[in-house]
Amino acid sequence: MTIERPVLPPDPGEDVPGFKETLLGMPRRVYRSIFRSRPVPRTELERSQAVADNFFFHIHSAKVRERSLKWKTTFGLGLLTMNVFLVLCVTGILLMFYYVPSPEEAYKRMLDLQGAVFFGRFLRNVHRWAAEAMVVLAILHMVRVFLTGSHKRPREFNWVVGVRLLLLTLFMSFTGYLLPWDQLAYWAVTVGTAIARYAPLVGDEIRYVLLGGNEVGAEALLRFYVLHVAVLPFAMLVLIGLHFWRVRKDGGLARPATPEGKPERTPLAPAELPAFDRFPATPAKTYGLMAVVPLRTPQTGGDVEKQVPSWPSALARELLLMTITLLLLSVAAILWDAPLEGIADPSHPPNPAKAPWYFLGLQEMVSYDAFWGGIGIPGLLVGLALLAPYLERRAGGEGTWFHPKRSAVNWLFLSVLATLAVLTLVGTFFRGANWAFTTPW
Amino acid sequence: MSRLEALHDERAGGPPPTRRSVMTWVAAGAFGTCAAVMAAFNLIFLKPRVTTGEASKIRVGKPENFSSGSVVELTDAKVVVRRDGDRFSAVSTVCTHLGCTVKRTDVGFECPCHGSVYDAMGGVLGGPAPKPLPWFRITLTPTGELEVDKQAVVPTGTHLEVAS
Repeated sequence: MTIERPVLPPDPGEDVPGFKETLLGMPRRVYRSIFRSRPVPRTELERSQAVADNFFFHIHSAKVRERSLKWKTTFGLGLLTMNVFLVLCVTGILLMFYYVPSPEEAYKRMLDLQGAVFFGRFLRNVHRWAAEAMVVLAILHMVRVFLTGSHKRPREFNWVVGVRLLLLTLFMSFTGYLLPWDQLAYWAVTVGTAIARYAPLVGDEIRYVLLGGNEVGAEALLRFYVLHVAVLPFAMLVLIGLHFWRVRKDGGLARPATPEGKPERTPLAPAELPAFDRFPATPAKTYGLMAVVPLRTPQTGGDVEKQVPSWPSALARELLLMTITLLLLSVAAILWDAPLEGIADPSHPPNPAKAPWYFLGLQEMVSYDAFWGGIGIPGLLVGLALLAPYLERRAGGEGTWFHPKRSAVNWLFLSVLATLAVLTLVGTFFRGANWAFTTPW
Repeated sequence: MSRLEALHDERAGGPPPTRRSVMTWVAAGAFGTCAAVMAAFNLIFLKPRVTTGEASKIRVGKPENFSSGSVVELTDAKVVVRRDGDRFSAVSTVCTHLGCTVKRTDVGFECPCHGSVYDAMGGVLGGPAPKPLPWFRITLTPTGELEVDKQAVVPTGTHLEVAS
C-alpha cells in the first residue's frame, strides 16, 4: 500500500493562468466563492450537500422520513405559525417607519396609514390578520402535538419551550393591541391589565411596572411599544431557534416505535426497541456513501421507514405552505380592514368594554369570580400545561393521532380546551351592554 | 488518584481546598453577586419613581364654589367631590372591577362596562365589583383651596369639615 501525499496547491510562481482565461473563469469563480454546491443538485450526494452546505437550509437534516412530510402527520401547523411570524416581522418593521408611540401622534399615524401612505392600509391589515392567525395557529399546533403524543419523552422540554412561545405570542398580540391608540385599544388594555391586579401581593406592582404608572397613558404606550418591537420579538426569536434545534436533537418528529402497517423485524430490530430512539439501534450509517447511489436507504436496523432527501421534498412543501400563508393573508387583507375605532378617550368607556378576543374567556371567568377567574384558574392551567409531559406516566402512543393508550388524557385535554373555547365564545358573542347576556343575532 | 484514595477522600469530606479552588469559588461568588445586583437594579430601574402626566394631588377650588349638597365630577381626574353641609368628601370613579370609569346615576354610580352598581357612598349594590369605590383624602391647602390626594385612600365616610 502506498501512502498518498497530500496534494499541495500549485506554486504561485509557476503556471499563472492567462488574462483571458481568468476573465472567462471569473463568473464561475465568483459563484463558487459564494455557493458551496451546484444551483440544482442532480445526484443524491449533491442533494445532501445542497442542504448541509447552505446556511439557510442547514437547519434541515439531509434526509427526512417520508412520514414527516405527510399532511396528516402535522398539517404543517408549526411551520405555518413560523411563516406567519415571519410575515409579522416584515410587515411590522415596515409599519415602524411611520409609527410614533405617543398619545398625540399614534392615532394620527393610524389614519395616515389608512388613507395617505401608499400600501399602508394593506400592510396594516396583513399585520393585524397575521397576528390573529398566529394566536390561532400556535394553539392548533399545540393541540396537534398533544393529540399525537409528540410531547412525551424525550420531547418534554421542547413542549415547555412551546408553551412559553404560546405565552409570548399572546403577550406580543396584547402589547400590539394598544399601539393604534383607539377606543378599542385603550379599553381592551385597561380591562386586560386590570385583570393583573387580582394577583395577590404583586398584582398592583406588576400592573404599575407594566404600565409605567397607574393608568394607561403615554408611559404605557411607550412601554408596550418597546416590548412589542424589541423585547418580545427578540425573546421569541431565541426560543424559536431553540424550539427548532430541539426538534432535530430529539430525533425529528415523534413517530411510533414500529412503523404503521409493518411487522416488527425481529432479527435486527429488538422487540424492546426504546420508543424514543434518539440514536436508533442502527449500525452507524454513512450518508456520503449511501448518497452516491440514487437508491433507497439501505435497511440496516430498526429504522425501516423510507427517507427522502430534504431537497427538494421538504423544501417544496415548505415553499407551498409559505405560498398558502401569503395568499390567504393577502386575500384577508384585501377583503377586510383591520378594525380602527375613534381615538382613545379615557373618560368615555364603551359599553361593554372588552379585552382582546383571546382574553375574553378570562374576562368571562373574571365576571364570575375575580381572583379565580383572572389569576387562579389561568395560572393553574399554565402550570398544568408546563408539567403535562412530565405528568404523563405511561409511555407509548407517540406520533399517532388519538392513540387508544392515551384516550383518557386526550379527552381531558380536549374538554379543558372546549371549556375555554365556549367561555371565549360566550365572552365574544353573547355578552352585550353591562356584560349582560345577549345573542348576536 | 486510585479509586481507593478517591473513596477515602469522599469519606473525609472531599479533598482539602487548594488555593486554586478557593480562588475559583471567591471569583465565582463575586461574579454571581455582581450579576444579581445588576439584575435587581435593572428591575428597579423599570419601576418609575415619578409618574408623568398623572398628578396624584388635584386642586379642586375654594370651598365656597361648592353649594351645599352639590356633587361635582372631575372627568379627567376620575374623582367625584361632594359637599354635604360643611363636610367635603372625594370618591373615585374608577370601577374596582376592571378599571372602567363609572357613570353617576340616581342611586349612586354604575359601571357601563360590566354592570357593577354602587350606592352614593361607593358601596357595592350589585354586579361583579369586588370592592367599594375608594375614598380619597381631601385637605385644605394654605391658600384655602380643596386638594384631593389620589394616593391617599381613606376609609369610607371620612370627611373634611370646613367651617363656613
